[in-house]
Amino acid sequence: MTTKTIFEFYKLLEKDKISFSYRGRFSNNVLTMATELLKENLDEEHGRLRNKLSFLMIESFQNISRYADKENSELDETSEFFMTRNVGDTFYIISANLIDNDKIPVVREKLEKVNTLDKKELNLLYREVLTNKQINEKGGAGLGFIEMVRKTKGKLPFDFVKIDDKQSMFFMQIELKNAKTDDGLPSLPISDAKFVQEIVAAENILMMHKGDFSEEAVGPMIRMVEENMQNISLKIHKKIFHFLVEILQNISKHAYSTDDKREGIFQIGFMNNKFHIGTGNLIANNEIKNLKTQIDSVNSKTKDELNELYRKYLREGKSTKTGSAGLGLIDLARETEDNIKYEFTQINDEYSFFSLTVNF
Amino acid sequence: MLEPIILEKTKNSPEIILDKENSTFKIAGRSIVEDPGEFYSPIHNWLEEYVKSPLPKTDFVIDLEYFNSSSARQIMEIIMLLEKIQKSGKIVKVSWLYEEGDEMSKERGDEIKLVSKLDFEIKEYPAEDY
Repeated sequence: MTTKTIFEFYKLLEKDKISFSYRGRFSNNVLTMATELLKENLDEEHGRLRNKLSFLMIESFQNISRYADKENSELDETSEFFMTRNVGDTFYIISANLIDNDKIPVVREKLEKVNTLDKKELNLLYREVLTNKQINEKGGAGLGFIEMVRKTKGKLPFDFVKIDDKQSMFFMQIELKNAKTDDGLPSLPISDAKFVQEIVAAENILMMHKGDFSEEAVGPMIRMVEENMQNISLKIHKKIFHFLVEILQNISKHAYSTDDKREGIFQIGFMNNKFHIGTGNLIANNEIKNLKTQIDSVNSKTKDELNELYRKYLREGKSTKTGSAGLGLIDLARETEDNIKYEFTQINDEYSFFSLTVNF
Repeated sequence: MLEPIILEKTKNSPEIILDKENSTFKIAGRSIVEDPGEFYSPIHNWLEEYVKSPLPKTDFVIDLEYFNSSSARQIMEIIMLLEKIQKSGKIVKVSWLYEEGDEMSKERGDEIKLVSKLDFEIKEYPAEDY
């Protein structure tokens, strides 16, 4: 993950009002938190979709965990993937998981069938499947698929990407439109989701979130990451938590805001035996110089010098000189293994995109 | 008698007990409030009053699993207020507690101990069973 990657993702998800992706182990905790995060981020006009969205996320999640059988394996490009995004007036829930090639024809048949049926036919099929013991005992009779189509009143785009002779990745997309405010825009093709999955897998990004980074929204984000860190050592857990709090709070304080929202993106990745945390947000052009001076100043200091400065400010408070870094930046600089990496990409006369990464 | 301050911990702010009558002084939990000045100013005010007529011995317990950098200054402010008691000849002891394996909390304690002038003890307690 580099500062460039963060900007590329920002461009890729430019139209997303909310976007969240996760790879790895799927526990109920992840599900609860992902649902919470989405709820916290919902606009008022989309609030009434809340329950439907939670329901669909649960269905989609269970769909992943039904097929997932690589429980203790390491993360790789075939790890389960889950993504929610809100573009315009449509919500997308995307899942990807491994499937045995010999199961593909059955799944394909079920999906093609539900995708062609109208409302009446779906209800009939639902009752038929529900009462047919024989089908039920085989498990995964497609009730989930029927429910998804009934709830969304749309189609379920899907695709299979062959991994080897035995397995493929199974992509499925649920789309929920807010009928009241329908913008009439065409749906995002499932190839978009495949593209995102491909990059997060290649970069080994575990979690990514784009949305509002104002104070209220940062809380649930921090708690979600924390919930997902239960299986790693307390030492690492604390460090990730520390970086996140400092970086996210920094964004919520300084990001350029439009309509009271402070839009930003954050990613956590693991590469070359190091955790990488990256964030990106818009910043007013007239603040760049000061921020750059501050980061350059902490980057030019040794760890010892940073410690000394931190301790001095602890007692005396931050220096009021312009361009002098506060405790937060000093702390980031002394905890990150390499320097703080950053980049400013000008968007227009008013603001630029500021991306930053730290690692350990 | 100074009215005690007792605050329950929240997702973002620590539990606070400042109770002169029962000789209990404690901060526990996490402090990641974005505007720590607002949260800590009543605490600082209370301590400013307390240091004017402290108990003969003040045992102050700090058991913070996590605090953000903007809270760090506020916590240091508490320590510096306690230093005033020591200057006046009375006894102050700070116990900094951390969970076994939590190196970061230990390091943060070591650091504050280094810049403080107080009798400052850093103690580990066993990890909670989940």
